[in-house]
Amino acid sequence: QKKMDIPFDISSYLCYQEVAAETSSFKMDLDDDTAVITTLKSFNSFINRPELPQRLSESSAGSGNLQSQYKRRMELLEAAEKVQSKNRYLQLDLEKKQIEMSHKKARFELEKMASDSARDLEHQVDQNQELLGRIKRLENKETEAAKNLSEQEEANRNLRKNLEGLQKKLEERDAKLNAANQTISSLKDESRELMMKIRNQDSTISAQTLETQELQEQLDLQRRKYHEVSQLCQNLQAAESSCADHLFKIKELERRLVLQEQDIAIVKTVKSEVAKVPDLEKEVKLLRDDNAFLRESRENCSLLKEEVEGLRRKLERMEKIKEELINMELEKEVKLKDVNAYCSVLLLVIRKPEDLSREVIQIQQKEIALKEQNYALNSRVRSMEHSQSELRLELNQQRNKTMEEQKKRETHDALVRRLQKRVLLLTKERDGMRAILESYDSELAPTEYSPQLNKRVKEAEEVLQRVQNHNVEMEVSYMHLFHRQKIEDLEAERQRLEEQNNILEMRLERHNLQGDYDPVKTRVLHFKMNPTSVAKQQRQQEVEALEEEIKHLRELVCSLQGGGAVCILSRFLPVICVPDLRKQIESSELKNQRLKEVFQKKIQEFRRVCYVLTGYQIDLTTENQYRLSSVFAEHMDDSLLFKKGSNGNMQLMETEFSKTLGEMVALHLHHQKSIPVFLSAVTLELFSRQTSA
Amino acid sequence: MTSTLQGITLKGSSELVADFFSFGINSILYQRGIYPPETFSRVTHYDMSLHLTTDVKLKNYMNNVVAQLKEWLMECTVQKLVLVITCLETNEVLERWQFDIQCDKSAKENCAPREKSIKAIQDEIRSVIRQITATVTFLPLLDTPCAFDLLVYIDKDNDVPEKWEESGPRIIDQSEEVRLRSFTTSIHKVNSMVAYKKND
Repeated sequence: QKKMDIPFDISSYLCYQEVAAETSSFKMDLDDDTAVITTLKSFNSFINRPELPQRLSESSAGSGNLQSQYKRRMELLEAAEKVQSKNRYLQLDLEKKQIEMSHKKARFELEKMASDSARDLEHQVDQNQELLGRIKRLENKETEAAKNLSEQEEANRNLRKNLEGLQKKLEERDAKLNAANQTISSLKDESRELMMKIRNQDSTISAQTLETQELQEQLDLQRRKYHEVSQLCQNLQAAESSCADHLFKIKELERRLVLQEQDIAIVKTVKSEVAKVPDLEKEVKLLRDDNAFLRESRENCSLLKEEVEGLRRKLERMEKIKEELINMELEKEVKLKDVNAYCSVLLLVIRKPEDLSREVIQIQQKEIALKEQNYALNSRVRSMEHSQSELRLELNQQRNKTMEEQKKRETHDALVRRLQKRVLLLTKERDGMRAILESYDSELAPTEYSPQLNKRVKEAEEVLQRVQNHNVEMEVSYMHLFHRQKIEDLEAERQRLEEQNNILEMRLERHNLQGDYDPVKTRVLHFKMNPTSVAKQQRQQEVEALEEEIKHLRELVCSLQGGGAVCILSRFLPVICVPDLRKQIESSELKNQRLKEVFQKKIQEFRRVCYVLTGYQIDLTTENQYRLSSVFAEHMDDSLLFKKGSNGNMQLMETEFSKTLGEMVALHLHHQKSIPVFLSAVTLELFSRQTSA
Repeated sequence: MTSTLQGITLKGSSELVADFFSFGINSILYQRGIYPPETFSRVTHYDMSLHLTTDVKLKNYMNNVVAQLKEWLMECTVQKLVLVITCLETNEVLERWQFDIQCDKSAKENCAPREKSIKAIQDEIRSVIRQITATVTFLPLLDTPCAFDLLVYIDKDNDVPEKWEESGPRIIDQSEEVRLRSFTTSIHKVNSMVAYKKND
């Protein structure tokens, strides 16, 4: 209804077309329904917009336009309806596409489901086939059993037929018997034989009944078998039902398998990630170690910087100290001179204390005056120094100015040279031009001068300009080169000096670390009684004591080895042999001791044997004097003394006991000059005395 | 502690530095085995456990040296203190522990105490002594009998006191040097370093 009131205008129609185009362009955006709606809204708003201004023109339209208006309105309506339909179409399209998407999704899911179910189906089909196979086998068995049954039944029937035949035979035989009974009397023998035959036949009948019984038993067996088979069939059915249950279980198990496989995949990914963890931990450790090392190096850097600052401050202080030292030395010299002068003066004047005091006062006054002078001099010196420094500054400034002016002069010279060159070039060009002009003047007519001249002039100007530009460029590049070279040289020198500086600083540091010092400024002191010197002294003493011990031991060893034997040990035994020597000494001492003991024992034995055999105990009292005491001596003190003379003869000495033996002495010693006879005589005498007494 | 809580004076700083040398040298003697470990007793100082010798002669020597060192620190004339370890048999220097001392001479004229907390100084000293203990891990083994000596580098124009004499610098021939931590009391700054003979 709204649209009925809409006035129609060409511009609005065109706008509508544009909006429709927009909507059609937006149509393609399937997912953006809002765009379509917004464009519709905008279209509606636009269509509603020109209502107001157009209403004013409505009255001026006139009746003639009504039909056209109506037509236009109808067309608009139709267009609107078209738009509406189009919109509906769009919406439907959108919905269709949405539905298609959802269809596709559903299809995809269904396909998935279908594939899954197909797989399940396949599984089930396989299982079914298996079961069918089993069933077939069982059915075969059943058929076989049925066959057996039928066979048994046939056999039964046959047996029954046989039975019936036999029964018929029996009846016939009865008839024959009856016929024969009529002839019994005549034929008793025959009857006996017949009886015999009957008995035989009875026996055969019994056998046959037995057989029938057996056959009936067999029948029973077959029936039982049939029952069993029927039971088997029932069992089969039960098995089939259990099979169906198993199938369900199998499906469940398969579902569980699938889930477990998924879990396995997840576990594998987790394991791979976990395997990376130790590597990451190692990397973290390495990074932490690097961090710690870098922090330490940073600290070392800060330490080194501190030390550099300390060194610089030290340097500054040292320089100040130097200057102060120089000043102090100068003052010292001056004062020494004064002191010497005073000494020479004083020697002449001092005689009285008053003079002394006067002298002292004078000296003090002089001192004051001198101090004043000193101060004045100091102030002069300072002012002189000030002026000197100022003059130096002025000098430096003047020098700088002269340098600058020199540079300026040089640049000016260079400029002058350049200008001169240019002037030369120009003059040359001018000359050239002049020559050309003259040549032209001489060769050509005046009317033909100007164009050619103009050309020449232009050419020359161009050439000049080119040359000038070239010149300027060359100068600029030359200056650049010059400056560049300077800069490069200075840079190279600076780097070299820096390197040298670094090397020297490193050397200084190294020397400082090693303990180097400047002997002019520093001295090294240590305590006189320091542990090292004490230890050295002790060591020296030990060494001397050890050497003495070694000497002593060597002498001992030499003496032990025998009086005349050559001392095998050389003087140049190394110190390490001392313990060996000591051991040797000990062993030799032990040997000595043992020898001594053995000697003593042997001597004692020998003396005892001598005493026993000869009857005399011989003792060595003093040098060359031997005391003999007999075994038969009456008193303990009875002994004979013999002395060994210088010529080797034994002489008897006077003792109390020898006085009692004067006769024997005279006889045996003086007369017979034989000591053994004398001794044996004495023994005999004593023995006789003892035995008789 | 000698200095007040407010600040460090020249006297206080000299005492702190002399104390550090006393304990530091004892630690080095213990760590390097110059004297048998049973001749050392444990004391607590700088908030850590340190070794101090009980040998009478050594104590005597140390007291003499440290007392003289304090005087020199007050005058700001001492430049270095060096502990030299020599092998008795070959008479070569095996190790050289050098302590450079930088004195701020303006503290001599200006008597105002400087602002630095004793705790901070003690922390620095503690870290230096710890580092000295740690250096034992890379220093070569001293398996020959050794003795030590203390050398002092002072300004040339100082008089030589009684009981002291001039000596050579006892520099190691072919040495490796390692620079250790430093500490400062804001008046005295002490840099430590150790030089040892290279093991071929």
